Amino acid sequence: MKSVVDRTAIALAIVGVVGVSGCASYPVPNTKVASSEAAIRAAHETGSRDVPQAALHLKLAEEQLEQGKKLIRDNENERASYVLSRAEADAELALALSRAESSKAKAGTALDNVRAVRSGAPTRN
Amino acid sequence: MKRLPKSAVLTVGTLLAACMGACASTQAPQELTDARSAYQRAQAPGGMAAEFKPDQVHEAKVALDKAEQSFLDDPKDQKTRDLAYIAQRKAQLAEASASSQHALSTKEQADQDAKRATKGQLAATGQMLASAGQALASTQQQLETEKKAHAEAEARAKDAMNRLAIAGSKVTEEPRGVVITMPGGVLFASGKDTLLATAQVKLGQVAEALKTQGDHKIVVEGHTDSQGSDTSNQLLSERRAQAVTTFLVSRGVAADQIRSEGVGESRPVADNASQEGRANNRRVEIVIQNIENR
Repeated sequence: MKSVVDRTAIALAIVGVVGVSGCASYPVPNTKVASSEAAIRAAHETGSRDVPQAALHLKLAEEQLEQGKKLIRDNENERASYVLSRAEADAELALALSRAESSKAKAGTALDNVRAVRSGAPTRN
Repeated sequence: MKRLPKSAVLTVGTLLAACMGACASTQAPQELTDARSAYQRAQAPGGMAAEFKPDQVHEAKVALDKAEQSFLDDPKDQKTRDLAYIAQRKAQLAEASASSQHALSTKEQADQDAKRATKGQLAATGQMLASAGQALASTQQQLETEKKAHAEAEARAKDAMNRLAIAGSKVTEEPRGVVITMPGGVLFASGKDTLLATAQVKLGQVAEALKTQGDHKIVVEGHTDSQGSDTSNQLLSERRAQAVTTFLVSRGVAADQIRSEGVGESRPVADNASQEGRANNRRVEIVIQNIENR
């Protein structure tokens, strides 16, 4: 009976050690923090704040970046890694949306210019 | 009715509960449902994302596959929600990037169209200017020719007038035109309206000069002194003017270019009290009218 109890204790100890070491072994996602921050910066630079839909995703990205950093401080690195990936995806989407808006505006101006040239009116740049 | 054994009822109940549990656990989280929809939109054949950003659509597919696998592995794992969220954003990213690319293509096409249209208009304007330039050059050449011809005519006319002055007539330029004044004594015997033989020679020279005057209108005016009645002077002046006109026409001056007018004693140029003054007032004036005086 005693040997059974001993074996159970050893097994539990192994499981415990493996579990603890498993949590502790997930690396701090510093690269993801950096890439999220870079994506957010790029979104800012392309004027995402001025495009409503892009601004929404930019805000989500910023919130998730903060959440990711907090998770790192709480040693929840794996969860932080996913949250930071979400932040980066939102920032990239914000950037693309603001670029699309800018491209559409340029296309609109170019089409207006074609119409103006054909009708003989002054063109816009 | 035969009752089922208690153990059988228990087994069926357990199976039902297990099945219900399994069904509840396989329901996809909202994030995964959204990701699937977003991917379906992005990969739709003929859509902008499929046309312009196939690489990003592929990335969305890879991300969605990861989320689906995670869902199969552990439907309730937060990781599934995160991966699905990322997959949805990647599909949306493909659509936004494609929209941007499409807009830029439209812009490029429009710029080329505008360039072509501007080039066409410039070419048309250039052609128009060239035609106008040619017309202008032609007009200028015509003007030069006319100017030269006019100058030559003027020179000929002046030469003719100079010859008249030499012939004893007085030639003056007045606002009404060039006036050739011929003394009455040179042309007619006193009180008569028949031209003297010597007058015909001088008037012949005048006729030659008048024929060089182009389309200028000519008026032959008869003037008398104040001797005699107004009526007789008027009639005499008319007859003398007519006699001169008839002679000039006979020498080739166009009949529709010349007319006669009797002025009588009404416009003296000298004092009728003296003999010399009266001699000056007896005269015939041939007025070559200015074009603008007609």
